[in-house]
Amino acid sequence: MAESRHSADVIVIGAGLSGLLAAVHAVKRGARVRLIANGWGQQIVSPGWISVFDRADGDVLAAAQRHAVVQPDHPYALAGQEALVNGLALLQEIAAEIGEPFAPPRLDGRNLRLPTMLGGMQTPLLAPQGIANGDLTDVDGPVLIVGFDGWRDFYPEMVAGNLSRQGIAARAVSVALGSGRPGWDEWPADLARRLDDPAVRAAIVRQVQPHVKDAVKVGFPAVLGMERHAEVLREFQTALGCPVFEIPVLPPSPAGTRLSNGLRRWLLRQQARVQIGHAVVRAIVEGRRCVGVEVGALGHTNPFYADVFVLATGGLYNGGIQSDETGRLWEPIFGFPVSGPPGEGRTGWYGERLLVAEGHPIYRESGLRVNAQMQPLDVEGAPLLENVFAAGHLLAGFNPLTDGCAEGVALATAYKAACAALAG
Amino acid sequence: MACLIGLIAAEIIVTTTSVDVLVIGGGATGAAALYDLARRGVRALLVDQLDFTTGTSGRYHGLLHSGGRYAGHDLETAKECIVENQILRRIAPFAVEDTGGLFVATPVDPADFPARWLDGCTKAGIPAEPLTPTQARAEEPALTPHISAVYRVPDASVDSFDLIHGLVEAARSYGSDAWIYQRVIALLREGDAVLGATLEDTRTGERRTVHAACVINATGPWAGVVAGLAGLDVKILFSRGAMIAMNTRWVNTIVNRLRPADDGDILVPVGTVCVLGTTSVTTDRPDDYRIEPWEVTKILAEADVVVPGIRYGRALRAWAGVRPLYEPPEVTRGEVEGRAVKRTFSVIDHAERDGVRGLVTVTGGKLTTCRLMAEKAVDAACAQLGVKVPCSTADEVLPIPAAASRRYHRLDHRLHRLEHGEMPGALICECELVTRPQLEAAIAAYGEQPVALDDLRRDLRLGMGPCQAGFCGVRAAGILQSARKLSAEQAVQALGAFVDERFRGVRPLLWGHQLRQLYLDELIYRRILGLDGLLEGIPATPATVAAAEEVSRG
Repeated sequence: MAESRHSADVIVIGAGLSGLLAAVHAVKRGARVRLIANGWGQQIVSPGWISVFDRADGDVLAAAQRHAVVQPDHPYALAGQEALVNGLALLQEIAAEIGEPFAPPRLDGRNLRLPTMLGGMQTPLLAPQGIANGDLTDVDGPVLIVGFDGWRDFYPEMVAGNLSRQGIAARAVSVALGSGRPGWDEWPADLARRLDDPAVRAAIVRQVQPHVKDAVKVGFPAVLGMERHAEVLREFQTALGCPVFEIPVLPPSPAGTRLSNGLRRWLLRQQARVQIGHAVVRAIVEGRRCVGVEVGALGHTNPFYADVFVLATGGLYNGGIQSDETGRLWEPIFGFPVSGPPGEGRTGWYGERLLVAEGHPIYRESGLRVNAQMQPLDVEGAPLLENVFAAGHLLAGFNPLTDGCAEGVALATAYKAACAALAG
Repeated sequence: MACLIGLIAAEIIVTTTSVDVLVIGGGATGAAALYDLARRGVRALLVDQLDFTTGTSGRYHGLLHSGGRYAGHDLETAKECIVENQILRRIAPFAVEDTGGLFVATPVDPADFPARWLDGCTKAGIPAEPLTPTQARAEEPALTPHISAVYRVPDASVDSFDLIHGLVEAARSYGSDAWIYQRVIALLREGDAVLGATLEDTRTGERRTVHAACVINATGPWAGVVAGLAGLDVKILFSRGAMIAMNTRWVNTIVNRLRPADDGDILVPVGTVCVLGTTSVTTDRPDDYRIEPWEVTKILAEADVVVPGIRYGRALRAWAGVRPLYEPPEVTRGEVEGRAVKRTFSVIDHAERDGVRGLVTVTGGKLTTCRLMAEKAVDAACAQLGVKVPCSTADEVLPIPAAASRRYHRLDHRLHRLEHGEMPGALICECELVTRPQLEAAIAAYGEQPVALDDLRRDLRLGMGPCQAGFCGVRAAGILQSARKLSAEQAVQALGAFVDERFRGVRPLLWGHQLRQLYLDELIYRRILGLDGLLEGIPATPATVAAAEEVSRG
């Protein structure tokens, strides 16, 4: 890439998993990166694991590849298998580098079987070590589920009861949380910070030890430390004499927060610019190229210029796509055309019940249509701008809530968009 | 021997009870009738197929009419409203918030209407004080600057939960009783008399017989169905109306559009929300709670005319209610629909009309006139029973119901108490500030009776705020599980039913902010809890409990 006349070569808009990964990739390839985001991405409200193709029965990557053939407008089909594989590899590499490692994937390439805070089962491909330790595949003995007395966000009896119904022997116990009961407004991150304190941990360990008995694993709500998570996990496993795992709880998730924090700090250490809490209000377009973006400030906007742009502002949840009462859907920064479900107004957006098996059409159908270079397309299918590449939940063609590929799509499309941007 | 209408096998009826009067319907009219009977010394029992206030009484906008709404075209109803408005303010102050009301005409409204309306107010005895647009906007700055006329009337908002619980608790203090989740499946009719009813517990299926010298049918839109159980014909017209709760009050005074009654002409600040109403769509079912997209669009657009910008606010929840409209056959000339039908009420003494003793039907009317409706229905029942005691329900102030002291609040009261350590324990519902001890106490109040999360919602406002139970649903299910020693499966089932119930009320409003909220809720339920997977293979909760769905105000 030629030397840029601007303060950044690449502007990435969005700080979710795709924005962060695109920024990491660009930095690793030597680009000067400015990341601008209005808020935190969906990663911090997500469980913290990486869903690539949750319903795969065997090898996950092979199943994802087969699915791309069946559904040619799926982001996997557009980004290509190589981008998915490389995106996953890059995430694992950078996560290890920032001290938030993912557990190595299973050798047989299958999904993990992880318990949820209701005692349900989720099957992502990768998870942070603490969460991945909960893999219940071939578990050969009882599991102990530990809760904290009076804490509103975790009900160990519910977890154990539902696991038992599914044939996994499980017991529940509640222990006091160090000094005093939890407060009236205690979030997972608050507990995670409390567990950074060795004295709090020691009190928990003492109470849990007598209950371990024949348990082959001990599960806790996913609040085992915020800044000192690895230390907490190591200490608990040593003291309890068996693998200790975390069960994701209500958002925001400490695991997702740790990953976001870690990636942001890494980017800053590499001299990237990171501006969070800054809304990009519009793009500055000249002909078929974007030359810069205007960022909202008090009473005015500030322009930032770069050669290439990665748009990773998220879907309807994060505000990358906006909607109104009349059924209009729009992309607010570039005004790219947004597809939506067929039908007039909002009539075709939602099913009759929230948890309908097939998911709601609005999430699968709404979003940008892109080509294999991740360039947003006009309604005729031609790229709109030469140097803007889109990634993540902004894209149409998948339902992040029901298709079991939310993080996989974010990673594959971010990797592909970053590659295309640097090549362009 | 009593002849059972309907095919009921006698051997499964396990218990029999006798009372003087059986009141069917746990809405405002039924509760007021129960209280009225109790004060006249008549031993009565009230039954409802679901919980109190689950029908039309709970599915309204919360307005205690001054009568102004009817002053332009229905003087009879207008007069009833102003009289009853003043009585309810006096006897049930705990349920009434004296917001006052404004009637606002804008330049797009018919210019000749205000004069006609004012004349109606004068004739009906409704005090209507003219304000200048400047005065009105000084009081309510959110009002449009384009005001052609504005009047102040004594509207108020009334909490139907508290009113009905107040009436029922007062009746109980006289020795009367009320049973919920009891559906009338047959009326016992022998020759030309109704002698009671057969009830079925909608949660357990258990049946029992209640013998009564008289039955009062106060079932609102179901009045025709219930009368039909005795082989009698009562033709009800059903008019459904949609309402939308916005997530802040927007105004502190009730704002009515000063024009001939039409869709979308009222904003009612209630508690923490502002309810926008309403539409009038003729339907053929007493429980048609559908809301069509055009209704949402229409209500928001009309509200935006008097409070500009409100259509871009956050809509929390929508619900529909079915107004029972009854016109005596001799009045009906040709097709009469929706707003053309007068909103006054009717009491049908079936002894007089059909020659069948022991049944009185009361229907039509407004929540505002519930006490008067009850008075007239009870007069008819007492005439049949030979009871000569006159009505005295307007004379005495109702005691504050225990249920109200637990539930009736402004959100800032709860916040103040929380922050001053007066509400110990973890906060379970952040939006409505419900704590774990409050939830546990509410669960305990059900004793051995089945309790759904939706019952706790009505008791505590659990899950009624912006997140619509995304966070508190799973917490409440966990607490319910341990309090009632439920199996994990039952706890999942309870949560699943609550999720379905909450979704019904937001589904019409999914765009912008509320769409994002529901995305987060769905993310929690599916990705974090795995609730969808767990619900596969678990039977849905009994339909009757799930059907105890929307009760007003988000």
